[in-house]
Amino acid sequence: MKDNILHLLQTLRAYAVEKGYLVSVIYHEEDSSLMRFANSAVSLNTNEHIIRLGVEAYDGRRRAEYSMITGLDDLDEMKRGIDLAVEMAHHAQPLGYDMTIPVFKQDFADESAFDPALAAMSSEERLAFFNQAVAGLEEEELLLSGIFSSGVNIWAQINTLSEHTQYFQTTDAQISVVLAHRQLKWEVTAEQSAQQKADLNPEALRRELAFLVRCYKEQPAMQLPLGTYDIVLGQAAVADLLSTMNWIGFSGGAYKRGFSFLSEEQVGQKVFSEQFTLVDDPNRRETFPFRFDFMGMERQPFPLVQKGVFQGFMWMQDDADEFGMKPTGHTVPARSLVMAGGDVPVATVEELARMPRERDVLYIPFLHYMNIVNPSQGVVTASSRFGALLLKRDGSIAVPYNVRLTQSLLDLFGERVAWVSSVTAPYNTSSSYGERNPTAVIVPMFMQVNGLEISHSNSSY
Amino acid sequence: MQKQIQQQIERIMAKGATYVDARWYPLDETSSLTMWNGNLKSAHTNRESGIGVRVLYQGAWGFCASSETSDLAVVFEKALENARAAAERVTFPVRLAEKDSIQASFESPCRVDPFGVPLTERVAFLSRLDELMAQAGVEQRMASMDLMRKQIIFLDSEGSQIEKRITEVFGGLRVSGRDAQGGMQVRTFRLNRRGETRGWESFDPDFFAQQAERIVRELNELRTAENCPKEDRSVILLPGIMFLQTHETIGHALELDRILGYELAFAGGSFVTLDDFGKLRYGSEKLTARADGTLINSPGSFGYDDDGVPTQNTVLIDRGILVGAITGRQMVEEANARAHRTIFNGSGGANRATAFYRVPIERMTNINIDPGQDGTLEDIVQATERGIILDGDRSWSIGSNREQFHFATEIGWMVEDGRVTGVVKNATYKGATVPFWNSLSAVGDASTWSVQFVDNCGKGQPNQIMQLGHGVPVCRFDNVRIGE
Ligand SMILES: [Zn+2]
Repeated sequence: MKDNILHLLQTLRAYAVEKGYLVSVIYHEEDSSLMRFANSAVSLNTNEHIIRLGVEAYDGRRRAEYSMITGLDDLDEMKRGIDLAVEMAHHAQPLGYDMTIPVFKQDFADESAFDPALAAMSSEERLAFFNQAVAGLEEEELLLSGIFSSGVNIWAQINTLSEHTQYFQTTDAQISVVLAHRQLKWEVTAEQSAQQKADLNPEALRRELAFLVRCYKEQPAMQLPLGTYDIVLGQAAVADLLSTMNWIGFSGGAYKRGFSFLSEEQVGQKVFSEQFTLVDDPNRRETFPFRFDFMGMERQPFPLVQKGVFQGFMWMQDDADEFGMKPTGHTVPARSLVMAGGDVPVATVEELARMPRERDVLYIPFLHYMNIVNPSQGVVTASSRFGALLLKRDGSIAVPYNVRLTQSLLDLFGERVAWVSSVTAPYNTSSSYGERNPTAVIVPMFMQVNGLEISHSNSSY
Repeated sequence: MQKQIQQQIERIMAKGATYVDARWYPLDETSSLTMWNGNLKSAHTNRESGIGVRVLYQGAWGFCASSETSDLAVVFEKALENARAAAERVTFPVRLAEKDSIQASFESPCRVDPFGVPLTERVAFLSRLDELMAQAGVEQRMASMDLMRKQIIFLDSEGSQIEKRITEVFGGLRVSGRDAQGGMQVRTFRLNRRGETRGWESFDPDFFAQQAERIVRELNELRTAENCPKEDRSVILLPGIMFLQTHETIGHALELDRILGYELAFAGGSFVTLDDFGKLRYGSEKLTARADGTLINSPGSFGYDDDGVPTQNTVLIDRGILVGAITGRQMVEEANARAHRTIFNGSGGANRATAFYRVPIERMTNINIDPGQDGTLEDIVQATERGIILDGDRSWSIGSNREQFHFATEIGWMVEDGRVTGVVKNATYKGATVPFWNSLSAVGDASTWSVQFVDNCGKGQPNQIMQLGHGVPVCRFDNVRIGE
């Protein structure tokens, strides 16, 4: 497979060189499977095998891009695509700055995050996994939803400035299992991210679901009074907050355009909690990493926050070109964010519920529909979903209806952080918009933040 | 090609499928330009073609798509195989509501083909606007243009054959600049329905120039404005935010697949239950909402949906009472069966897929609010004691059952005793869906009504981005918490 793809790229390059073009060619191939569940049935079982070719053409300070969905053997159409990109660039308007064109100084191929066993999983195996994950938990009114999304993803690149190629091949699986009560409308979830088949563990999902279902069935439900709470955020919630922070915090381009809550003056300053350390680490296989960026720059672990001290912005090549900065190897479809664990050894929600506590603690595993209210202040808003619990001071548990949090990331990761779990795990943050692009963030299982206000509290599930 | 597709449909039916359809896209093209501070940051054209096949076997769906159409049998076979695997776990066997077999075609109204306009001319259009927006106070300026065209040929095992040719045009301007506290303020203009066609004629340079001037002026007002106070007031929503309120808390809440629990794995459910139809008070008597796929000239009007059902004009909320939903063939059958009564008389023609490689699901058509009897915007302002006029969508976050929401807007104008007293920045509002709609106290007349285009509605797994419309008037809601 790899040889065919790289041969294709060389053929396209030879065509472009002969025509005197200056172009980059990016090949993307996905072989995706999705089994989707709803109302305890398989509601959709689908495959997509899609090959996309992207061509970026350069003409002085002019640049344009042409992309297509195509077949591997449709060489003539691909060549036409190259011609079209070049023609578009010719009619584009020059940029106000010099752009850097990628040059690969060596061949690079990374298949270390590819697992043939995961790639070969059948529909029957995916269904068996789900059946195991919810064994004994479904009831007439308690219905299964969820997805088993898995696939093979390939990126390959070449350009006319050198003969070298870059090639990345990964496998990934994103699994979420939801049990929802048809009448009462409460819902609980357990999720898993896998890079290889051996990562799959339906029993772990079943244990977590069983505990949450028991709580939701047996414990009293309540509307929380508005006010401030000590809140434990689960893995999904922390991962979602970090993804937002990645966007409106650490991007140099966003900062220069006025859409970051961090500034150059804060580099080297303590902005967050001492318990917060975050790095972009392309050596972590579980994040489906890029060890070279799409400009051919080797990526190294890039510290973003060290014990609360902001370390600096990430610069993609185009932003660096526009604002006269040095690129940092971040011209990649996805980063490899890793948040360091803390010192409280709690790995599961059951262990969390058993922890001794002096005050009531609100556990929010998942933040639904997060959006940015004010990027300059880092204010985000979202609602709790999927299995929140009120862990009471006396050791008992109540089930709260969903609540809304509207908070600044500076507070959520600031001095109010009480403790961070020492146990970390990858959380799959892949979005399936457009093309497959596996992404995961490594996060602690839990983080407690004290004194956070809830601004809305539902009066029912 | 149609003949070969037809043969494959017959072949799969002979193997025991109860229904098969195929959507063949000979062409699906988008062309996008983005100019940011005078730099043409993106000039991107994308072309796709391929086929998507749906097979219903023993009450379960299988789907398969491929850009490779030379061996159709493989794609059809895989779709059948996927359906067979899905049939191992069926709880409510899929049934499809009756429909007529249709041979027809649909073309969206377009006077001047935007794809025929040379790239240099399109770039020059944006460049002129960029220059117009380069004024004091503006730090970032963006002008964009997105064109789409699709040719879709639909065939099914019930004898339908429908061809659609759809052209969409989207365009926008955005300026941002810092206020005295260093906070970034933003003002946006988006191209909406103008007249009875949408093609290159929609890009009227004079009209865009006026909008550029206006958003720059309003941005500079925002830069020196006070913060929005945190208190309860009447909110007067202009169409630039009213469309989103309608989209998020009527549109998504009334998608029948959400109501039936088919989106719980990700997007969420709905607070609405099947018992609520015909009974639930979902807004004051001033509210009549409809899903109108027959509206002239909107992305939410597409002739026939991807079940092959003609688009319709369906009342959703009739003078405040919930009566309808956004529906396709599968969900209406299941809903009627589960409710043990006929809530829905056939499909509402709202099942759509974003591309050949995605499966159709319930999507909004044009989710509209009928104009009311409360006069012009000026009339509504004059009749408001303590209020705030809001416009522009800056952020939106909605509860998973669409039961509550929080919106940040771009700009607010305070209203005291029937008069506008000044601009405020960072204006937000929030509420609980049903009480909010029940607090609807004024609905503007036809002079306040306009059709807003949406090009980026996301739903489903794998995710699908859809284009649609909202015809909405100016509306006022009372006792709403703002500034949080
Ligand atoms: Zn939407």
